[in-house]
Amino acid sequence: DVRPGALVLCMDVGFSMSNSEPGQEPSFEQAKKVIQKFVQRQVFAENKDEVGLVLFGTDGTKNGLAEDGQYENITVHRRLMMPDFELLEEIESKLQPGGQQADWLDALVVCMDLLQEETMGKKFERLNIVLLTDLNVQTSADQLDVIIDSLKKARITLQFFLPFPVDGEDRADGGGDGPGPSAAPVRPGKGLSRQQTQGLEMVKNIMTSLEEEDGLEEVYTFSDALQKLSIFKRIDRRPMAWPCHLTIGSSLTIRIVGYKAVTEEKVKKSWAIVEAQSHQRDDVKRETVYCLDDDNETEVQKDDTIQGFRYGSDIVPFSKVDEDQMKYKSDGKCFSVLGFTKQELVRCSPFMGSQVVKVFAARDDEHAAVALSALIRALDSLKMAAIVRYAYDRRSNPQVGAAFPCIKEKYECLLYVQLPFMEDLRQFTFPVLENNKKFKPSESQLSAVDALIDSMMLVEKDEDGESVDVFKVNHIPNPQFQRLFQCLHHRGVNPDDPLPPVEPWLKRDLERPQAVSARCQTPLQDVKTKFPLKVVVKKKEQKTSADVFGNQEHAFTLTSIPCEVSHFNRRSLFQVGSVNPVRDFCTLIRQKTVSFDQACQQLTHRIEQLLGNRSPEYYMKSIACIQAFRDQGAFLTGIFRSSGICSSKVKNRPSAHVELKTSCLQHALLFSDALTLISKDEVDGSTFSKQDANQVLTAFYSLQLTSFKKFV
Amino acid sequence: MRKRRVMAEWREYYQNEDDEVEEDEEDSGGAYKISGRDSLVFLVDASKEMFIKGEDGEPSNFDMTMQCVRSVYTSKIISSDKDLVALVFYGTEQSKNPRNSFKHVYVYHDLDSPGAKHVQDIDKLQGEKGAQLAEKTMGSGETSLGEALWCCSNLYSDIKLRLSHKRLMIFTCRDDPHVGDSAKDRQARTKAADLKETGVVIDLMHLTKPEGFDVSLFFCDIVSPPEDESELGLQTEPCRKLEDLQKRVRAKELKKRAQSRLTFSLGEGVNLAVGVYVLARTATKPPAVRLYRDTNEPVRTKTRYFHAHNGGILLPNDMKRAQVYGKKQIVMEKDEVDEIKKFDDPGLVLMGFKPMERLKLHHHIRPALFIYPEEEQISGSSCMFTTLLLKCSEKNVFALCRYIPRRNTPPRFVALVPQREELDQSQTQATPPGFRVIFLPFADDIRTVDAHVGPTASDEQVDKMKEIVHKLRFKYRSDAFENPMLQQHYRNLEALALDMLAPEPIEDLTMPKVQMMDDRLGPLVQEFKDLVYPPDYNPEGKPAAKRKPAESGGGGAEKKPKVEMSEEELKNHVEKGTLGKLTVPVLKDACRQFGIRTTGTKKQELIDALTMQFSK
Repeated sequence: DVRPGALVLCMDVGFSMSNSEPGQEPSFEQAKKVIQKFVQRQVFAENKDEVGLVLFGTDGTKNGLAEDGQYENITVHRRLMMPDFELLEEIESKLQPGGQQADWLDALVVCMDLLQEETMGKKFERLNIVLLTDLNVQTSADQLDVIIDSLKKARITLQFFLPFPVDGEDRADGGGDGPGPSAAPVRPGKGLSRQQTQGLEMVKNIMTSLEEEDGLEEVYTFSDALQKLSIFKRIDRRPMAWPCHLTIGSSLTIRIVGYKAVTEEKVKKSWAIVEAQSHQRDDVKRETVYCLDDDNETEVQKDDTIQGFRYGSDIVPFSKVDEDQMKYKSDGKCFSVLGFTKQELVRCSPFMGSQVVKVFAARDDEHAAVALSALIRALDSLKMAAIVRYAYDRRSNPQVGAAFPCIKEKYECLLYVQLPFMEDLRQFTFPVLENNKKFKPSESQLSAVDALIDSMMLVEKDEDGESVDVFKVNHIPNPQFQRLFQCLHHRGVNPDDPLPPVEPWLKRDLERPQAVSARCQTPLQDVKTKFPLKVVVKKKEQKTSADVFGNQEHAFTLTSIPCEVSHFNRRSLFQVGSVNPVRDFCTLIRQKTVSFDQACQQLTHRIEQLLGNRSPEYYMKSIACIQAFRDQGAFLTGIFRSSGICSSKVKNRPSAHVELKTSCLQHALLFSDALTLISKDEVDGSTFSKQDANQVLTAFYSLQLTSFKKFV
Repeated sequence: MRKRRVMAEWREYYQNEDDEVEEDEEDSGGAYKISGRDSLVFLVDASKEMFIKGEDGEPSNFDMTMQCVRSVYTSKIISSDKDLVALVFYGTEQSKNPRNSFKHVYVYHDLDSPGAKHVQDIDKLQGEKGAQLAEKTMGSGETSLGEALWCCSNLYSDIKLRLSHKRLMIFTCRDDPHVGDSAKDRQARTKAADLKETGVVIDLMHLTKPEGFDVSLFFCDIVSPPEDESELGLQTEPCRKLEDLQKRVRAKELKKRAQSRLTFSLGEGVNLAVGVYVLARTATKPPAVRLYRDTNEPVRTKTRYFHAHNGGILLPNDMKRAQVYGKKQIVMEKDEVDEIKKFDDPGLVLMGFKPMERLKLHHHIRPALFIYPEEEQISGSSCMFTTLLLKCSEKNVFALCRYIPRRNTPPRFVALVPQREELDQSQTQATPPGFRVIFLPFADDIRTVDAHVGPTASDEQVDKMKEIVHKLRFKYRSDAFENPMLQQHYRNLEALALDMLAPEPIEDLTMPKVQMMDDRLGPLVQEFKDLVYPPDYNPEGKPAAKRKPAESGGGGAEKKPKVEMSEEELKNHVEKGTLGKLTVPVLKDACRQFGIRTTGTKKQELIDALTMQFSK
C-alpha cells in the first residue's frame, strides 16, 4: 500500500509577516494566497496526496515537541490528511496573523516530527515540507547538521517560499523568467534585515547540502509561486509504466517500458444534474425512449430495436454479437518495428493522437538498456526514425507511429508519436500565395514585417549571452483549471454569490509580455500603415437571431409604420388579416374601429392559425405578432393568450412538435429572445400571478427545447 | 416527402454562406449548423478508345477510371456518407436518362449517396468482363458532350436537397470528341457555360492516348477556370498511371472547407482574417444506429428528465449542475458552467515569435490545424499573411499565438509554423502554403517521468544496429497505412449489405512483414544479439520486477466479481427469452449454481438447458 505523497505546509504567521511597504501586500497575505491556491488545486483536482498544516508565530502552542518552553508558538493546525473543503474554509476564515515570532528551524523540526509520526508504518512515495516565511526572526543554527542529516535519512525534500529571491542580483528585476510582469515587485532596493541575511545563508546551506547544486532551484518567491503553480510539480502524480517488447523482425526483442510524457490533461470531474430547488441528484430521473420517425413519434421498446450501421446510403443491421465476432482483433500489446525511415519524411506528416510516449529500456535490465541505446544512437546518427505498430493492449486498436531517438545529457529514450492512417487525411489544394501577383508584398512591406518579428522575439539573450525564453507555455498552468477551481471554491464558500471575475494574474498569464508589447509598438504602427486591411462589409450579413428579431421589432413598432397606416385609413379596417396581421393589428388599435380587446382576440386568432402552418415564415410572423402585443402594451393579455395557444398545442397535438421540427433552431432562438425580453423586464410587473407567467414561459421553453433537441 | 421539401426550403432560406462548418468535428459541441450536401458527377467517356488496353497488359483507360471511381465511392462511404455522387457515361450506343431525352448518354448512377450496391455495380464494370458488360449494356456510339452536359445539369436540378458544392469530372482520352463537328463543339461549350453559371465546377481528368492529349483543341473552353489566375489550371500532362489519376481526383474530390473563420490579431488593431482547416483528423468507426426490429427503420432516442417524486417533466431551468468534493456539494446553473470556460472572444492573438528550434518535437497534444487567409472577410489579409509566411520562413521562426476556437472555450497556445508550397513530380500540390497550427502543452499536460538511466551502447554495438537500420529502411508516406480496424468494419458491412458469404479479407498493413525483415537482415540479428546480450539472457522472459497494479489494465475485464443470479431473475430471462443477453460465463455459473446438466458448453446449449429447467 504505497501512498502517493505526504506534504506539510509550514507557514510563518509571526508579526513580521504582517509588515509591508506602502502599497504592497504583506507577506502574510501573499503566503496565505499561495497556500490557498495550492490547497484549492489539491482539493479540486482530487489529488490523493496527504497534506498537513503547521503554523508558527502563533499566539498559542500546540505541537508534540513543546516542552519546557521549547518549541513554543508553533501550532500543528492539521495533521496529515487528504485536503478537503473544510481545510480550504479553515484557511479562508481561521488563518490569521499571529502576534508572536518563532524560530523557523524549530518549526521545521516540528514538521519533520509530524511527518515521521504520521507516516509511521505507512509507505509514501514522497515526503515534502514546504516552508513559507520571511526569515525575519532570530534563529539558532546549532544542530543544523543534525537536522540536515535526518532530512536526508528520512528522504524528506524541502521547498522554501520567501518574499524575496534567494539570489540578490535577481532582486532588482523581479527575478526569473516568469511570464509577464511579476505580480508584486519584491522589496526593491531595500536591503534585508540582519536576521534575514543570516536566515538566507542557512536556507542556502540546507538546500545545497540536501540537493547539491540544484538545491537552490527549490527556493521560490511568493510572487513566483502565485504565477506558476507548476512549481508544485514535484507532488504531481507520476505516469503509469507500460512494459512491452520492442521487436525488430521475428528474433530481435528488447524489453522496454513506456510512459506518457505529454498528454492533454482534461477536466476530470463531470457535472451531475440536480433538481433546482432541492439540489438533490436523486430527484432527477432520466429516461430515454426510442421512437419511430413518424408523425406520431410512436414509441418502441428498447428490446424491439437492434443495432445497425450506416454504409453509405444503406443501413445495415449488425448485432453487437456479430460485430464482436467479426471485428478486427489485435493480438495484444506490441511495439513492433515495421521499418526505418528518414526523420524529415516523418516530420512532414501530421502527428495524430493526443500523447507522446517516452520509451526506456526496462528498469534494472542493463542488457536491454545497451540494446535500446544502440538503436537510439544508430537512429540519431543516421537521422532516422523507426516506424512501429503500437497497440496499448488486447482491446485497443493498433496505431502506426514513429519512434524518434532522443539523447539527453542524463538519459536516452525513444519518443513515440502516432502517425495518421490514410483514412485520417484530407487532401485539400490551396491557391498559390507566394507567386501570386495580387498578394505579392512590396519591399517596404517585407521590411516592416521583418522589423515586427525582430521586435516581438520571445527569446532574448541575457548578460551571459544565453538565450532565455520569456514566454514558456509549458510553464503556464492551464487557465481552464485555475478558473474552474476559483469558481468552485468561491461558490462553495459563498453559495449565493454570483461567480467572481477571472483573477487578474490569470488574465495576465495569457497576455503578451509587457516588455515585448512595449518594444513592438513602433513596428506595429509601421505595419498598420503599410498594410491596408479592411473588413469586407457583406451584403448578406450573418443573421443572428438577435438581428432578425431586432429588424422585425423595428419594422413592426407603431412609430415605423405611419405611412402604411394612412394608406389603410382610406378603407377602414375591421379585421386583423393574415397577410400582415401585425400592421392590421396596429391599425385597428390606432383607428379604434374595434375594441382593444377584440383586436387582441383577432390577433390571437391569427397567431393560432399561423402556428398551425408548417412553414418557417409563418413562425416568423407569429413571433412578430407576439412582439406586437408587447409593443402595444397589450402584452400582458396578449402574450398570455398567445403562449396559452402554444402550450395547449403542445399538450393536445403531438404534431406541434413536428411543426417545430420542420423549422429550425434559429427559430427556437427567436422564441428565446422574445422570452428573455418578456421574462426579465415585464413579467414582474404583471397582474397575472407569478405562476401564470411561469406557465407561459415554461410552455415556450419546452417548445424551444423539443425543437432544439431534435436538431442537435 | 413533403417534410423533406420543407427542410430543403428552410435550409435555402436560412443557409448562410458563412456558415459552412465542419459537420463532424469532435468539438462542434452544441453548435448548430446546417450546410448543404456536396455533389460530384463522374462523366466518363465510353467510346471504343477508352477500352483499348495499354502495353504490357496495363489496364485500359476505362478500367483505370472505374478503379478511381470505386475508390471515391468507398472513401465517401467511410468519410462523408452524406455526399452525393453520380456516374454518367457519354458516347454510348444505348441511352438511359431520367426522361430519355438525351441520346448516347447513359446515367449509370443518379445523384445519390453511394451505398454497397453502387460499389458492386462499379465492380461489375471492371476488367475484361467489365468491358464486355459495358459493351452489352451501353455499347459505344456517337458522341455529343453537349447532350451529356445538359443531362448532367438536369441531374443537379432534379435534386431537391440543397447542394453546397457541385463538381463534375470528365474522364476521357479523346481531345477532340466531336472530330471537327463545330456545331457539336459549340453546343458543348454553351452547355458547359450554363453549368458553370449555376455554380458547377468542371474538371478534366484527361487520360493518356498515343498521340498525346491536346487540351487546347477543345477542352480548355469546357473546364472551369482555376481558383485564381496564377494557378496552373490545366495539368497539361495526361494521367498515365492509376496512382496519378487517383491523386488528381482525390485532390479535387473533397471541397475544402474551413472549420471556422477567425480574426488573427497582431495587436494595435492590425487584424487579418484566416480560415482554419482540418487536414488530418482521426477517422473513427461511426456510431451505431438503433433500428426497429420489425422494419429495420432507424429509431430516434428522446431523453427526458422528470421529477422522481411527482413525476413532472423537468425543464432545463428546473435543473442545475453540481459537483461534490469531499462532503461538499457545489451547485451552479448550466449557464454558469459554460461561463466559466469563457475567457475571451474567439480568435488568434499574436504573442510573439520564437526560433524554430524552440518548438519541441515531443510537445504534441493534438493533431495540428492549418490556416489560410480569408480575403473575403478582411481584404488585404492575403498580402499580410503571405508577408508573414515569407518572413517567418526566411527567419526560421514560428509565431506564438493564443487561440480560442469558439465561444465559451478556454484558450490554448499554438505555434504557427510557416509552410511553403511544395509540388511533387507530377506538379500536384504536395504541401499547401499556409501556417500549420501546432497545439502547445500547458504545464498540466506535461508529466514528470523518472528517466531510466542505464549503460549506453559502445560504438561497435551502435554500428551493428546501423547495419540493421540500413537494411530495413523504406520511404515513409503518410497515406501508406490503412486503418485495419476501420477497413474490417466496412468490409463486414459490405458483406452484410451485399449478402456475401464472408467479408473480403483485408490486408493489415500495420503488421510487420516479419518474414521479409528476417530475410533482409540475415545473420545481422544474431550478430547484434551476440554483441549486446549475454548467452543466457532471454528478453522475452517476464520482467522480474513486480507489476504495478494499474499496469494490468488489460486484464480488468476478466476479473469482474462473480454475480450470482437468483432463481427469479433466471426465470424472468427464460420467460422473456432474453437469456441470450447473458454471457457464457454467467450462464455456466447459473447452470453450476442450480446443478443443471448440460450437453455441452456452447452458448445455445447452455441456454437450452436453462430454458428446459426453468420453463417446467
